[in-house]
Amino acid sequence: MIVGSRRSRRIWAVVTYATILFFLLFTTLPLVWLVLTSVKPETDIVTAAGVKYWPSSFTFEHYVNIWWQSGFAVLVLNSAKTTAMTILICLVAGSLGAYAFSRFRFPGRKEMLLGLLVVRMFPAVVKIIPLFIIMRGLGLLDSSFGLALAYSSFLLPLFVWIMKGFFDALPDDLEEAARIDGCTRLGAMVRIVLPLARNGLVATTVFVAIGAWNEFLFALMLTTSQGSRTWPVGLQLMIGEFQLPWGMLAAGGVISIIPVVVLFAFIQRVLVSGLTTGAVKG
Amino acid sequence: MARSWDGGRQEVAVGPDRWNPFGRIAEFSERRHWAWFLLLPCVLIVALIVIYPTFYGITLSFREMRLTRPGLGTGFVGLKHYLAILQDGTFWLSVRNTLAYTSLAIVLELSLGLASALALNQRLPGLRFLGVVILLPWFLPNVVAGNMWALMLDPRLGVINDLLVRAGILDGYRAWFADPATALIAAVVVEAWHGFPFFTLLLLAALKGVPDELHQSAAVDGATVVDRFWHVTLPMLKMVIVAAVVLRVISIVNSPDLLLILTNGGPANSTMVLSLYAFQTAYRAFDFGYAGALSVVMLLLLMLFCFLYVRASNIMANS
Repeated sequence: MIVGSRRSRRIWAVVTYATILFFLLFTTLPLVWLVLTSVKPETDIVTAAGVKYWPSSFTFEHYVNIWWQSGFAVLVLNSAKTTAMTILICLVAGSLGAYAFSRFRFPGRKEMLLGLLVVRMFPAVVKIIPLFIIMRGLGLLDSSFGLALAYSSFLLPLFVWIMKGFFDALPDDLEEAARIDGCTRLGAMVRIVLPLARNGLVATTVFVAIGAWNEFLFALMLTTSQGSRTWPVGLQLMIGEFQLPWGMLAAGGVISIIPVVVLFAFIQRVLVSGLTTGAVKG
Repeated sequence: MARSWDGGRQEVAVGPDRWNPFGRIAEFSERRHWAWFLLLPCVLIVALIVIYPTFYGITLSFREMRLTRPGLGTGFVGLKHYLAILQDGTFWLSVRNTLAYTSLAIVLELSLGLASALALNQRLPGLRFLGVVILLPWFLPNVVAGNMWALMLDPRLGVINDLLVRAGILDGYRAWFADPATALIAAVVVEAWHGFPFFTLLLLAALKGVPDELHQSAAVDGATVVDRFWHVTLPMLKMVIVAAVVLRVISIVNSPDLLLILTNGGPANSTMVLSLYAFQTAYRAFDFGYAGALSVVMLLLLMLFCFLYVRASNIMANS
């Protein structure tokens, strides 16, 4: 909050914009460099003398190469499949659970809610080894569904907590009124509460989607072939095994963050409204 | 303000088509077990993929399990792995590295987060949109964030080397990740770039909760901007900072992702942290028993830290 004389106000406004400018450059310049690298010809990336900042010509060959020759398309498809399954699991199990936590009081409620928070503290490695053994036993190793289940182990608790916050924010009176009008509990939930919580459901789903799309560690351990391997693992293995050229690596990076940036733009309003009201629920 | 748990009506008239499955479920929703029915899928999944594996993982640490040497069997070995950990030089090195890596990253992220949140909290035109852009790194995948910085820090083609040499700060290009003296610091910078918006987000939300009147009355009393920061803003942020630091420490200590991508623990184990060591023991050596013991020790150290940290901050708050 800027208060004080006009002169000190102006000084602080300048300081503020300078700070913001620094952070804008700090966050976006690496991304700009990534995009630039992805459209540079190979000779502009690996140069004999010095770094070439602006491409001498623009090319999309890296995109074509990584998408068609390196099988990135398959990896992206696998990731999309796994992400969709994770969303489905969280949406069904998570929203029902969050609704129950928000609207009913039952023995063990507090402990279970706290438990969902505590399990997020456990190291991924503690879970990864047993999940590997269990999935292998069930034949779910190297399958999109198995991976989606593993992702739910940390995304479902997150989903329940955030969604419970959104349900809590809706007044009980709405359901009371619906029930007085003869609605069953199911009817009140499906016809009144879920439509009203739509924005929250969308935002929370986007969080889960980004988390599943980006995940690296579980996928590295639990996938072993092209059949279910996700793009983060595939890209990292290409770098390690085939000495992936920087141009193709940059192109793969740009392709894979496009959905994230789009989804992020989609939820930024929820983020900002959460910021401006000063209430981060969940 | 939810209605009482078993206070629902027991009987209700349902529509004419009694065999409609939704009608049946709707009828069931009036019974007292409805809440448990709603919880069932969630509880079942959490029990199956979180609670059971976690306990399984803990018991593994007391057993022998090497996928590469099935001849050893999977017998109970008691505290063997834990005793081995005490003698393990790599373990102690990774404890030291975890401490250095985490504390450096937290200090950097908290400073960046606080500075950006304070700037974004000013009521000046355009800040709302710009704030959104600043949050973006938090949502980007580790694999892209890591490799993007690896590209920029490359010893031969890296743009950062070029800029530093042009600015006269460096004499020649450096291999940041190949030199044990700089590898950890370079990785911390990448971690901070990726993670600082978490602090921005939480601190900005907390700053919105500081009433303007506090600032105005302090300014009327002649407090300078710096005074107001120390005596008005910071005390209001204390609890959020404490909570945000705990959450971020937990996630940094637990996730080896970025170091796995950037350095794989090298050179000469100079960036080997506990989570990475445990993961490599499982993923490369397939020694599940020892990896389990390492991750249990990591969990215990983390719990000890949280306990001491929360206590210390309570004492500081009360004094």
